[in-house]
Amino acid sequence: MLIALGLITLPHSQHLPLPLFLFFVVLWTWRFIAIWKPEWLPGKITVFLLMLAAIGLLYSQHQGVLGRAGGTSLFVVALGLKLLEIRGTRDIYLIVFLGFIVAATEFLYQQNIVMAIYIVLVCIFLLATLITINGLHAKISPTLKKAGIIVLQAMPIAAIIFVLFPRIEAPHFKWLDAEKNQVTGLSDTLEPGAISELGLSPELVFRVKFDGDIPPPDERYWRGPVFTYTDGKRWRESPNRFFKRYMDTPRFKGKAYHYTLLMEPQNKPWVFALEMPAHFEAPLQRNSFYQLITTKDPTQRAEYKITSYTHFNTGYLTKTELKDTLQLPGKPSERIVKLVKQLGGFDLKPEQFIANLFNYFRQENFFYTLMPKKMENKPIETFLFERRYGFCSHYATAFVYLMRVADIPARVIGGYQGGELNEAGNFLEVRQANAHAWAEVWLHDKGWSRFDPTTAIAPERVEQTLDIEQQIATRTLTIVTPEVLHQSMDWLKQAKQVLGSVDYSWQRWIINYNRTSQQGIFKHLGIKDLKTIIYWLLVLVGTVTLILARFILKNKAQPVDPAVKLYRQFCQKIPDVTLNPGEAPYRFAARCRQAHPKQAETIDRIIQLFVKIRYYPNSPKETLEQLKKQVDHFSCT
Amino acid sequence: MNETVLSLKQRFALSRFIHGEKPVKGALTLNQRRIFILPTRQGGGFIVLILLLLLIALTYNNNLIYLLAFMLASVFFITILHTYQSLAGLVIKPLQTQAAFAGEKAGFGFNIQNPSDQARFDIQLKLETETLLDIPPHHHEKVLLFKSANKRGVLQAGTLTVSSCYPLGLFRAWSPLRFKLEALVYPAPAAVFSAFPESEGFEGENGQSKKGGDDFYGLQQYQPGDPIRQIHWKSYAKGQGLFSKHYGGNAVADLWLDYAQTLGHDVEQRLSHLCRWLIEAEKAGLRYGLILPNQKIPCRSGPEHQRACLEALALF
Repeated sequence: MLIALGLITLPHSQHLPLPLFLFFVVLWTWRFIAIWKPEWLPGKITVFLLMLAAIGLLYSQHQGVLGRAGGTSLFVVALGLKLLEIRGTRDIYLIVFLGFIVAATEFLYQQNIVMAIYIVLVCIFLLATLITINGLHAKISPTLKKAGIIVLQAMPIAAIIFVLFPRIEAPHFKWLDAEKNQVTGLSDTLEPGAISELGLSPELVFRVKFDGDIPPPDERYWRGPVFTYTDGKRWRESPNRFFKRYMDTPRFKGKAYHYTLLMEPQNKPWVFALEMPAHFEAPLQRNSFYQLITTKDPTQRAEYKITSYTHFNTGYLTKTELKDTLQLPGKPSERIVKLVKQLGGFDLKPEQFIANLFNYFRQENFFYTLMPKKMENKPIETFLFERRYGFCSHYATAFVYLMRVADIPARVIGGYQGGELNEAGNFLEVRQANAHAWAEVWLHDKGWSRFDPTTAIAPERVEQTLDIEQQIATRTLTIVTPEVLHQSMDWLKQAKQVLGSVDYSWQRWIINYNRTSQQGIFKHLGIKDLKTIIYWLLVLVGTVTLILARFILKNKAQPVDPAVKLYRQFCQKIPDVTLNPGEAPYRFAARCRQAHPKQAETIDRIIQLFVKIRYYPNSPKETLEQLKKQVDHFSCT
Repeated sequence: MNETVLSLKQRFALSRFIHGEKPVKGALTLNQRRIFILPTRQGGGFIVLILLLLLIALTYNNNLIYLLAFMLASVFFITILHTYQSLAGLVIKPLQTQAAFAGEKAGFGFNIQNPSDQARFDIQLKLETETLLDIPPHHHEKVLLFKSANKRGVLQAGTLTVSSCYPLGLFRAWSPLRFKLEALVYPAPAAVFSAFPESEGFEGENGQSKKGGDDFYGLQQYQPGDPIRQIHWKSYAKGQGLFSKHYGGNAVADLWLDYAQTLGHDVEQRLSHLCRWLIEAEKAGLRYGLILPNQKIPCRSGPEHQRACLEALALF
């Protein structure tokens, strides 16, 4: 039991305040030692003092016992204290119950599948503890087996209740608000010059499951914040987010992509839709930059159904947009004006100028790197004329800056690009390392159009799948072609994808199961009100119980010994003499002999054979055959 | 076996849950008709635990805690079946009883058989005393349970409660059983020993001193019932067979314990005295007989005889 309790508390070490966790460990160790040295157990006074110490600790760490962390600590400490005074079975029950609660609080911190399996195993241990107190046997493996069987049998019913139990939107208690998870993500400012090393993390940002085709890699742009305002170094979002555009929808063309987006917890309410989102449902909203924003708490995992078109025309330009997207921090330097002039920025059509600029990036000595040197002073000029090593943000900001100098409305878009296809689950996984920045230019007949200057310098970055692991390991951009990717799908990768797929389903169906998904299922089943829910619950649970009852309660039909069968046949063959219940074979034989003296010899032989088979173990098989022959041939007439 | 059909009213009579059905003679198999299940106090605690978990799940909107709570609820539910299973199919058969003097405890023997393939754990049998046992598959156990005998006469076994909380202790399954099983209760021996009565042919002499007389009469072939202390061990050791020493005046040493000669105000007191005499006489190795108003047991000695006499007293 102690081991089980230790196992329960172990994962809490990650988030409990250290002093509290150590306190528990000390109490636990104390109790463990006391198994061999019971006299070391503390007396009443010591326990009382320890309790005071515990209360003190709780208050010093949490200023109270409400809320997630405080409550968890309370239960852990209570468990530790209770361990020291086990007197009767009641105390053991209390401890086991506390153990269950501590196990449950674990889910407040971690909800992955591994943790769930872990907790189930620990629960089996706890139930085994209960079995040990109730059975007189103390052997571990049969009790564990029994507990495992019980849990296994409980699972189907649990699943049914899980699906059908009505979910109520939880009242929001302010004091119970979970502390903000530390989630990394895109920042709301962009300052490429200040970064010397791009943080690459394989952390998942969202997963996308398409209802039909998956867009090709070079169209997988997941739109995030739009950076319009710049002071020359840093780029920020425009404060005007809901101007006239807000109500407009672009004209969409081409193929529609329907997909489900499962966002991992974020600290910003941004939802990264495929450019351009056309249809979406509440709680999503679209701001004037065509960025989707959720009105719900982004720190909770959430699922959205969105339809996007990769070809679109946003049409006219509003005044606010014009003002915002031509904004420059003071006059551009001569070098820059010269460059723009050289590339035809002031006389050629915007498209031509952009093409020239792309060529410029391609032909001059520009390089893509994830480890650029810091460019703190005049970052754009330094990048364009001196360093020429940079990543997507450098290229995008420089590009937009040059556009604005040429009086072309342009802005920087942040978001994610690409995503790895999980073949096991057929969905895209987009990770932090897929973060990207590109540019958007307003063109007369096309509206806002995407231009990704990074493609000029590292087209693979966009067109093919990013090998994130390689990239993180070597800090260089590693691109694999699809064919190579396919070949390199060794078992490790495959296993990873299968795991990823399992995790996706886990998140989608278990963690994220909520009122909405429940109502979807209810609609399917034709459930409308509470009454029907209860009806369904009763019927389903009842059915499963019946099946289980049959399974648990069936008295395994005792295999009838073939010898006994033959013996009964024989008994029926004798007229006038019926076998009394519980009558010994020899006694029966004696009565038969009296009734049928002629057959006495045969009867004796049969009875002897039967007794031999039945009561002497390891009698040879031939004896049974002999008996069969004798019984078959036997007749009283 | 031993099954009768119950009417609906009988089926739900409260006494059935506590005292069991009408007593029966033979073995009883525990089945759904006789096994009752209710949650224990721990079971109640378990429900509170589940509610608490649901509350946590609700406030934090945490599906995994919901799932854990539902799993524990299902475990709770499934345990009903398991607890039922721990009793179902057991066959209980009454065995012999042990008589007792009033004020002591009479013993009732039971045989509990597990005909199934599964071992049964933590089976509690309770009469007045209780015992816990585990029964391996296809085994049977004999238990002797006691019940206080307060009154002389016949003591009914009453309700034997077979129960089990296995496996989790959240439920208790119990089955009250009544058998036609009765033990004899002898009268309590009187605390004060009054002198043996004088009987005819005793010639006014005290039986106690008479018995002690050295008037050795001779050896006789041993007969069952002869007091052990009169066995002539020397001849037995020599291999000559078993002989009893017979003392002079043996023929007249017969002690008649007569109801009419006892002291006491009422029947019970008189029987108590008789009981004490019987015990003392047997201890002393005398030949004694019993005279009751309705019965006369001729003079003999030995445990068999004593029991016959005590039974007569018990049933008087």
